Amino acid sequence: MGKKDLFIKSIQENERLIYKVAAFYTDCQDDRDDLVQEIIYTLWKSFETFKQNAALSTWMYRVAMNVAIFHLKKGKRNINTVPINSEILNFSETNNDDFNEKMLTLQKHIRNLNLFDKGILMLYLESKSHEEIAEIVGISRSNVGTKLSRIKDKLKQEIFK
Amino acid sequence: MELDDLKNDWESATNKAHKQNILTSKMIIKMTQKKYESKIRKIKYPELTGGIICILGLSFIVFNFNKLDTPFLQSISVVTIFLLLIIPALSYLSVISFPSANNFDKPYIDIIQNFAKQKLRFSKYQKVNAFLNYLLLVTIIILLPKFFSGKDITFAKSFWLFAFPIGYIFLIFFSKRVKKYYNNSLTQAGELLKEVEIYHK
Repeated sequence: MGKKDLFIKSIQENERLIYKVAAFYTDCQDDRDDLVQEIIYTLWKSFETFKQNAALSTWMYRVAMNVAIFHLKKGKRNINTVPINSEILNFSETNNDDFNEKMLTLQKHIRNLNLFDKGILMLYLESKSHEEIAEIVGISRSNVGTKLSRIKDKLKQEIFK
Repeated sequence: MELDDLKNDWESATNKAHKQNILTSKMIIKMTQKKYESKIRKIKYPELTGGIICILGLSFIVFNFNKLDTPFLQSISVVTIFLLLIIPALSYLSVISFPSANNFDKPYIDIIQNFAKQKLRFSKYQKVNAFLNYLLLVTIIILLPKFFSGKDITFAKSFWLFAFPIGYIFLIFFSKRVKKYYNNSLTQAGELLKEVEIYHK
């Protein structure tokens, strides 16, 4: 299998991961689509550096979350994306209202978290183990536990403010 | 709301929203190509446009230097030339440290650290740049009448009578806004950097 085919297969197998990271770090559909495409582009550019000794999904989470940090920095600007057919995108179908409502609630809670906390929370919500979070984020396993309990406290303060 | 409730909401929302495969091979290739093309455009045009405007301004001053007949106006034109060189250079320096695609697979904490440092540097550069732009505005106001109508406003009492107080008010207003905007940004980036450094392995 050539590099291109291998890349396409990897993206298709992990596209949920990409869409979830994009949904977590953005708050509107246009930004979400743009971030998805930015992530896919960066994954393609850095595909050569992927080392087989790390899990593909761990590598993809790292790249996707790291791209999201710099994507946020750019702020509002002209968005140049490939149009995604809304009929094949379930984000825009019947569940849209429910999805958007839940995403809005989530965004409201995480708005005041810094990027460090956001990344850890995102992986926790994705049901990643402390070990996996530690590997993706680059901190020790015990620090993941400490961080998560602090995030919990911050969120409580945020909700009862 | 507990973290577990948030987790359940996240799972149910994202699972409902993304049940089937969306991306076809064709779409993936098209997205990559389109992004590549837009990157090339993004790098070229803003930098190029800013640079061209500054070079045009600079050339105009150099070619019309003989119209400036007093040492004061000549000194002002030298300062303007210097500003037209340094402002685009500073803008360029403040944005060049974007990590390359090869660095995006580093641990998240490394990229946050890089991001916060860059933000700090960017805010500092922007503060200096805002001040230099104000200075450029002043020097251009002094030079333009001489270039276009041959008038030397350095001897016009009315100009100094109005220009100084208005300029001073403008400077106070302008620097307060710049300070407020970039200080917030500096504080946030500084706090993030401090926290990241504590947890960095």
